[in-house]
Amino acid sequence: MLFNSLEFFIFLPIVFILYWFVFKKHLKTQNILLLIASYVFYGMWDWRFLSLILLSTIVDYFVALKINTLEHQTKRKLWLSFSIIFNLGLLGFFKYYNFFVDSWVDLVSMFGYHMQSTWTLKVILPVGISFYTFQTMSYSFDVYYKKIKPTRDFLSFAAFVSFFPQLVAGPIERASNLLHQITNKRTFNYNQSVSGLKLILWGLFKKVVIADALGPLVDDIFTNYNAYPSSTLILGAVFFSFQIYGDFSGYSDIAIGTAKLFGIELMSNFKFPYFSRNIGEFWRRWHISLSSWFQAYIYVPLGGSRQGKYKTILNVFIVFLISGLWHGANWTFILWGILHAVIFIPLLVLGQNTKYKNTVLAEHSKLPSLKEFFSVLFVFSIVTFCWIFFRSESITDAFGFIERIFTDVSYVSYSHPMGYRMIDYYILILFFVFYEFLIRKDERSPFNFKSKGLRFVIYTVIIFCMLLFYDDNIDRSFIYFQF
Amino acid sequence: MMIILIDHLFISNFNIMKKLLLRLLLYVFCIVLILEVLVRVFHLTKDYPVRFVDDLGVERWVPNQEGYSVTGNRRQNFSKFNINSSGYNSYRDFEPSKDKMELALVGDSFIEGFHQHYNNSIGKKIEAKLNGIEVYEIGYAGYDFADQLHLIHQYQSFFDLIDHVVIDIKFEDDLTRNEYGILKERMKLESPMYRNLRHFKLLVYLQNIGAFSAARKMTTTLLSLGQNNISIHKKEDVNTTRKRYAKYIKNFQNLVHIYGYDKARFVLLIDKENTPQLFLDLLDKNGYAYIDFGKKINQSQIPTTLIYDQHWNNHGRNIVSNLISEFYKKSLKKQ
Repeated sequence: MLFNSLEFFIFLPIVFILYWFVFKKHLKTQNILLLIASYVFYGMWDWRFLSLILLSTIVDYFVALKINTLEHQTKRKLWLSFSIIFNLGLLGFFKYYNFFVDSWVDLVSMFGYHMQSTWTLKVILPVGISFYTFQTMSYSFDVYYKKIKPTRDFLSFAAFVSFFPQLVAGPIERASNLLHQITNKRTFNYNQSVSGLKLILWGLFKKVVIADALGPLVDDIFTNYNAYPSSTLILGAVFFSFQIYGDFSGYSDIAIGTAKLFGIELMSNFKFPYFSRNIGEFWRRWHISLSSWFQAYIYVPLGGSRQGKYKTILNVFIVFLISGLWHGANWTFILWGILHAVIFIPLLVLGQNTKYKNTVLAEHSKLPSLKEFFSVLFVFSIVTFCWIFFRSESITDAFGFIERIFTDVSYVSYSHPMGYRMIDYYILILFFVFYEFLIRKDERSPFNFKSKGLRFVIYTVIIFCMLLFYDDNIDRSFIYFQF
Repeated sequence: MMIILIDHLFISNFNIMKKLLLRLLLYVFCIVLILEVLVRVFHLTKDYPVRFVDDLGVERWVPNQEGYSVTGNRRQNFSKFNINSSGYNSYRDFEPSKDKMELALVGDSFIEGFHQHYNNSIGKKIEAKLNGIEVYEIGYAGYDFADQLHLIHQYQSFFDLIDHVVIDIKFEDDLTRNEYGILKERMKLESPMYRNLRHFKLLVYLQNIGAFSAARKMTTTLLSLGQNNISIHKKEDVNTTRKRYAKYIKNFQNLVHIYGYDKARFVLLIDKENTPQLFLDLLDKNGYAYIDFGKKINQSQIPTTLIYDQHWNNHGRNIVSNLISEFYKKSLKKQ
């Protein structure tokens, strides 16, 4: 079930009413409702893969309980390893099996041995597998590190793993934040619900208007990059930057907003990453739940920054490499991760990676300084360049795309084969950037203006834009579902 | 004590939610009102001309109306239409006589051409290429072969004055009937309910951009639940296709038999690539002349259809008008 579908707009009010009116008196029944609703939500894609979620839930539930009973470190580690192997095994089989087989065949053929790739399987990638396996693993990790006590309430734990707003594309929640909210009684809060509805509206705008509108243009430019000059290719890459941001942050906003309707607060996943002044700041603002997951469960266990500069650099490199691989079974994602590592590491060496840790662009002024402006532009350009690898179908395509940018340097006004009026998109992006700049200080309050009248005008404009850019003919699924 | 506390919580929750719901409804109502105004101010949606069935049982537009046709969102395709005194979209009135040479294009929405300014129609493009010929575009959305032959038959004295008639048919869509009858489903669109609903421009806009298609699809799915509708998604087998084609061909022959067909003056406009060989053989064997637009349209490197719509865009119309012009240039030369 997609957030931007009719099914969801029927499903959500039904669950909401049942949750607050019918099952309100007992926390247990409320959690059972959440669990059933989440399984229905997921099952609408493919009910067969519900078994994987259930399996992952059962394994981590019992592993955590077992770890908690053990004192011996080696045994605890053994059980944790079991959870990791199981979850990564699921992920590896469904997401990476064919990739590794093909890569092995390619590697062998590089040395002159020709093998036929007969081991590849027709495996369907279960939606959201990368998200929920990481969420369940984090629970076992937290119990292992004694950050939390394991729960004995299986139903609540199952509801935590499958909580439908964030099940298929995050934010990847930690048990320390989400589980106790599920195991404790929730009360209906008017302000929280209103804030949730506002986030849903803003998320829908980002998805329907920004991401979906730019989708066909990006698809055309990346598919036919051989036919376009550099100006169009740069435009395509910039459009993709906005498309992926609108798509993913839009999804996160809807997820956070929906969770609020049920009295649950999820962590922020995006904090205006394109207003970052260096790449370090970008990674503290982009897909925060994944970055912090890697930091807590990979970077820190590897030694973090405690074992000297070279080990720190190596650890950062490993994290970015895994981050790339997490995104998809393709060398394009791995190269994307490596590129980000290469850009990030110099900042780390110079000690600049945490420079803008607690500030935002134009913190104390209405406009950014010239230095800030160019820093933001520079970071955006680098990030956009890296997205070329992320978006391209293959490494060859990515390099072909980049090569044309530098070899066919010319400007030709772009027009989509279907004849879409391009000026609409340029105005849209300018409007979007301007508005995001206005709200840059609080990602959870997109309509935080004192004047009720102004707020009403903005709601109307946003809904009007949705009507203007809604396209029934395009694929409206979310990009991150494939990860 | 516990029950009282829970009841209290429930009642207070209910009141807060009532407040939330009421505010939400108020916001929605105000926003809908403003959107209705915006859709009207920016003319984002199309005007619907009024249709009627005349004394001779022919369905057409009420004469002398004008308005704007809009396709898709953001008014990306916006054009004026002009229903002439005969009830068809054209820049000219139809006044055939024996002193002039006329060509009539009889067809559906592709010939009707609401999707482009009426001054830039296929007919006008042909007139520019064939000097001295008046082109009458007798197009009406949804006309099939039964509609077309019935129209020509009922207005025989009018059509007798016209030198050449091109009839646009799509084999898959236009030969499903073996006899003409007024289509009640189409005329339902003129019922008071539909007319009143069309006053809500926002509703019309939403419908046109496909915002209701998901709801429609869901309703269809729900309605078909429990029914044995497995065959709906089944690919048609060869035998069924053959039977269907045979039926369409029989319909064609039957319609020609009932209403008549002047092979000397009438030419069919068809897409050969989407027409079965069986039907093409019938046309060839029996001396039905035709113009094929499919090859040129399908070969075009530039899109020939509109955004959000499968009707011909200006380029598509240029191709079709060129083909018709070339056909008549050649045949007039021969004469």
